[in-house]
Amino acid sequence: MQIIKLAWRSIWRNRRRTIITIVSMVLGLVIAFFFIAFGEGVYSGMTDNAVRMLGGHVTLEHPDYQEAPAVDLTIGGLAGMRRRIEELPEVERTKVLVLGQGVAKSGGGVVGVAVVGVEPSEERGSSPMYQKIIAGDYLEDADKRKVIIGSELAKQLKLGKQKDAIKVAEKIRPWIEYSKIPFEKIVVEARMRLAVGKKMVIATTNVHGDMVEELLRVKGVFCVGAVEIDGYMIQIPVDTARRIYGMQPGEATQLGVVVRDPDTQGQVLARVRQMIDREKISVLPWEEVMPDLAAYIEVDGGSNFVFQGVLIFLIMFVIFNTLLMSVLERRREFAVLLALGTPAGKLRLQILAESVFIALIGCTLGLLGGWGVTYPLAKGGLDISAMYEEGVSISGYAIDPVVYPWLSWELAAWLGGLVFVATMILSLYPMRKAAQIEVADLLRGGQ
Amino acid sequence: MEAIVQLEGVTKDYGQGNVTVHALRGVNLTIQKGDLAAVAGPSGSGKTTLLNVISGLDTPSGGKVWVDGKEVTRMSRSRLSKLRLNRIGFVFQAYNLIPVLTAYENAEYVLMLQGVPAKQRREKVMGLLRQVGLEGMEKRFPRELSGGQQQRVAIARAIAAQPALVLADEPTANVDSKTAAALLDLMVRLNEEQQATFLFSTHDQNVMKRSKRLILLKDGMIDQNGKPENIEH
Repeated sequence: MQIIKLAWRSIWRNRRRTIITIVSMVLGLVIAFFFIAFGEGVYSGMTDNAVRMLGGHVTLEHPDYQEAPAVDLTIGGLAGMRRRIEELPEVERTKVLVLGQGVAKSGGGVVGVAVVGVEPSEERGSSPMYQKIIAGDYLEDADKRKVIIGSELAKQLKLGKQKDAIKVAEKIRPWIEYSKIPFEKIVVEARMRLAVGKKMVIATTNVHGDMVEELLRVKGVFCVGAVEIDGYMIQIPVDTARRIYGMQPGEATQLGVVVRDPDTQGQVLARVRQMIDREKISVLPWEEVMPDLAAYIEVDGGSNFVFQGVLIFLIMFVIFNTLLMSVLERRREFAVLLALGTPAGKLRLQILAESVFIALIGCTLGLLGGWGVTYPLAKGGLDISAMYEEGVSISGYAIDPVVYPWLSWELAAWLGGLVFVATMILSLYPMRKAAQIEVADLLRGGQ
Repeated sequence: MEAIVQLEGVTKDYGQGNVTVHALRGVNLTIQKGDLAAVAGPSGSGKTTLLNVISGLDTPSGGKVWVDGKEVTRMSRSRLSKLRLNRIGFVFQAYNLIPVLTAYENAEYVLMLQGVPAKQRREKVMGLLRQVGLEGMEKRFPRELSGGQQQRVAIARAIAAQPALVLADEPTANVDSKTAAALLDLMVRLNEEQQATFLFSTHDQNVMKRSKRLILLKDGMIDQNGKPENIEH
């Protein structure tokens, strides 16, 4: 009790220094907390978009597909597999994909594209393409020769002509001026609307090696914000894709499994592997299907880790400086305590208690501050689109320009625990210093 | 009478750069229980070093020291710490109260370290503060007390645990003459009433006159030792 009282009062003796130390801790923790939560939010958003748009958290495909993706490397018997996989409680849904390459042609241009055959009703559940339709509508299961394309591809194929879009915009100029929406934005939107209903041709090679062409009509235009996707990827109904590529009904290049909670991905992967004949079908985590995205997250996460490490080191340096200065300037006081018969162990405990108080106050306020700053953004999202005129994409994968920082008790506990434990370790040196002082010299020197 | 302090051929040498300072040169001394002794001498004569060696705060270079029958010179740091806690009280020239504790808490500090129950501590400390004339000032912090009042708290702290020996290093040096006289009265009274043994180091003529025994140090050696009236200085 006596130690606690001495420690508590001692930290407030030099009030200004203690407050500066605590403020430094709080600021450092708020910044670290926010940036870790933001980084994790970006990664989880990016991963979520990519797995929902492509092959899911767990992907089933031909064992040779990763080596050399080709439309003739298909998997079959999907209906039975899907039924068994969807029975797993962790699984949100499965999705069938037919992936291929082709050339999109229109009267205005020719562009190489990635063709993605999808089940529209499944994609509607959560696909970013469905959510980012800016003109027209998303595909229906019953659609036969319909396609949705990205806004950049629509521009490159000149499906909606600029001069026609300007004419449309001119007609509503008074309203545009009244609404204060930039005229150019309305022109772009008009151009996308004009692209809907236009025809385009997909030329490709089927599983037999024959050149084939298919006339498609644009049903909708999406804009996910990544030029690599908006200018390159098209979606068509899966049956249309099978027909174009000459596949049998029930065949696909990939079967994707989307899990409800990304943390259960490993469990689902293991259980699906048990269900499947792995000689005929590979069951892969998304990290192996999209290795460049996984590598980006790993490298970027590493650099973030270094940044956070430097930040935490700076906080630690401030704390260490305070603890050490506080001990050095009270050496005479400690000499008196030792002279009166205070055991050295009690003196060490007093300094430890001072460190505990500073760390507890700093960590608590810092984590509350970090939580307070991050919470509204975790709920409402942080729109970073203004920072990226060309759209937000990393490593060819679109990320939602509205980032939802990842807020969790685990993060708070990890960060708070790290700073607290580090503070305790840093207090060992001042503790040692305090117990080693030469009592007689100090008492003599002061007289 | 029973000896509370005994020094036998005690020497203490310090290194100051390339020079060795001989602070104590073969001191032999006995202080009896209930004594009120003053160690006097010019600056640098070894007064503070003598007190430090007796309390175990400093280790002698040679010789032996006994306090309350125990040989201090052979004790470990932790045993010395226990000896100081239970058998020796300190009064410093610069008061050296703990600034974050009140007058009451400062006087109570040693009793708390000894594990004395709260009720007994309270009775003891309140009685002591009354005795040293600080009744009603229990809740004041050292910064709210005058020099004389701080030294009274220091005296209360020194005698709270009823030590066998109180070492007072120039206790009146930092206060005015009136306060010094009052402090001296207090210590003389405590010596008489509680049979507390006091060993001062001092430059103060009044302290020397009122002590029962005066020890004059010169160049680290005892020059004269006896009743004040028999000492020429």
